[in-house]
Amino acid sequence: MGIKGLTKLLADNAPKAMKEQKFESYFGRKIAIDASMSIYQFLIVVGRTGTEMLTNEAGEVTSHLQGMFSRTIRLLEAGIKPLYVFDGKPPELKKQELAKRYSKRADATDDLAAAVEDGNKEDIEKYSKRTVKVTKQHNDDCKRLLRLMGVPVVEAPSEAEAQCAVLCKSGKASDQFVYAVASEDMDSLTFGAPRFLRHLMDPSSRKIPVMEFDIAKVLEELNLTMDQFIDLCILSGCDYCDSIRGIGGQTALKLIRQHGSIENILENINKERYQIPEEWPYQEARRLFKEPVALSDEEQVEIKWTAPDEEGLIAFLVNENGFNSDRVAKAIEKIKAAKNKSSQGRLESFFKPTANPSVPIKRKETPQSTAKETANKKAKAGGGRKKK
Amino acid sequence: MLELRLVQGSLLKKVLESIKDLVNDANFDCSSSGFSLQAMDSSHVALVALLLRSEGFEHYRCDRNMSMGMNLGNMSKMLRCAGNDDIITIKADDGSDTVTFMFESPTQDKISDFEMKLMDIDSEHLGIPEAEYQSIVTMPSSEFARICKDLSGIGDTVVISVTKEGVKFSTRGDIGTANIVCRQNTTVDKPEEATVINMSEPVSLTFALRYMNSFTKATTLSNTVTISLSSELPVVVEYKIAEMGYIRFYLAPKIEDDEDETKPEV
Repeated sequence: MGIKGLTKLLADNAPKAMKEQKFESYFGRKIAIDASMSIYQFLIVVGRTGTEMLTNEAGEVTSHLQGMFSRTIRLLEAGIKPLYVFDGKPPELKKQELAKRYSKRADATDDLAAAVEDGNKEDIEKYSKRTVKVTKQHNDDCKRLLRLMGVPVVEAPSEAEAQCAVLCKSGKASDQFVYAVASEDMDSLTFGAPRFLRHLMDPSSRKIPVMEFDIAKVLEELNLTMDQFIDLCILSGCDYCDSIRGIGGQTALKLIRQHGSIENILENINKERYQIPEEWPYQEARRLFKEPVALSDEEQVEIKWTAPDEEGLIAFLVNENGFNSDRVAKAIEKIKAAKNKSSQGRLESFFKPTANPSVPIKRKETPQSTAKETANKKAKAGGGRKKK
Repeated sequence: MLELRLVQGSLLKKVLESIKDLVNDANFDCSSSGFSLQAMDSSHVALVALLLRSEGFEHYRCDRNMSMGMNLGNMSKMLRCAGNDDIITIKADDGSDTVTFMFESPTQDKISDFEMKLMDIDSEHLGIPEAEYQSIVTMPSSEFARICKDLSGIGDTVVISVTKEGVKFSTRGDIGTANIVCRQNTTVDKPEEATVINMSEPVSLTFALRYMNSFTKATTLSNTVTISLSSELPVVVEYKIAEMGYIRFYLAPKIEDDEDETKPEV
């Protein structure tokens, strides 16, 4: 899933690129959401205990609808303008990764069956989480629901994260366009999303602040170019190809800083110590990140937030999926109220940022001291390994 | 090296009290011309601009332009320890990561030193263009504070409309509606009690009362408040600070949400 260990790598090496934000502070912003990731979360979290899921009368799972409906309303009520991007065809390179996930899921299914037989509650919980799969039906249900709610849906030709990043990048110049990408997959950053939000779709009850990543700051703090950052992500381990055994994020960062690109690293690295996979399509992976398959601005379907289709929603949720009609009616009222509310303007749409001429009196931490810190950490980590 | 001695220390106390709830952390910028601050609230809806000109200080030394990042809550805690008649001196050395507030009682028999840690604050600085406002209202600050407080009991937003007749503040809530009209009134005994309306074009804008109420915490700084409105700009609520500067609050208006969003011309 995403880039291995990137969150930690950034927390250690580029802490300024990460900011905790309040959910409410995104009002008035257009935010592209990786729908498949959200649906997956809903299936795991919403109304599931062990193997029991929320279902309609026909026994079909409705957790994803419940989740999508309530979370989207929460976004709308906060004045956020969500647009959902759905996955298209996965790229060839991801097939291997997907096959791996498939077999893991198959294993989990077997384990789950065993756990159910034994009646081991903990194991049932553990394995049933792992068997969750987002099907085409789930996706189609959610698309239908969102359209009825008047929320725009974009179908990506390939990876949703890539499409989200493109939407966000193309709108960089004007604040009227997509402000940020919301996903849990760190590879949104690798795809070049200028701003990337995690935990936006987490349930409010968990009270986790939204974590905002700013790619420009990531690059500045790591002192890398975007191309080098992509190489770093590939080395750390992405969905598209294997990584080199023995090289994790921290080593990858060191190597990239030292040699500048994967090609140079391959020339200089000790091949005895690190085994480079025989077939290593890193160039192909790099291309996928740099030139993601996505709809460009011109090809794009119009993104518009419209009034909800009340009758349609009631027919779909209440009649077809057994939702409580009072609750749906109340929810529709909420959507309408959120829609009618005049939205609060933001100062940035009137005043543009300028450079502040003053120099901070407090001396900034020198990069040297941070280097020392990481060295210390590494030493500690090394010590830990020895103990094992 | 920085050393600013403010005889009327209570001004700084009042300034902090009026902005600390709106902004958590901010950079104070010092230059040879004065001591200033610009900061936005966390949701980027409101902005505070403070200026205390160097002439207003009894002693003002600032060798180079520099900024000091402070937590306003903590700064206010320290300034609260100063008496209202105390002389406050702000001191900082080059490259130091602390700032010192020195309080001297008027009789010079008590001197307190408070040293506060500075912080690194990454804040965006916005360029605020000089603008001709369509309507400028000057009125008693206490009157404005009263209106904002009263209206917030009824609704969440206030519509401020300026016409030839006067300035109208209106709100609407679940329990009903309220309209308050203040007419131009210059025939008063004291100039600070006057309501003066300078209007080139009528204007009507909607604002969140929550922020307006927060701005009125600065009422103690000045007897009058000036509200400048233009249909395509944030409102400016300005309180003059003695003869030495001002505190200005900018607030982005509420925008009617229509499908064809028109981008404000900047």
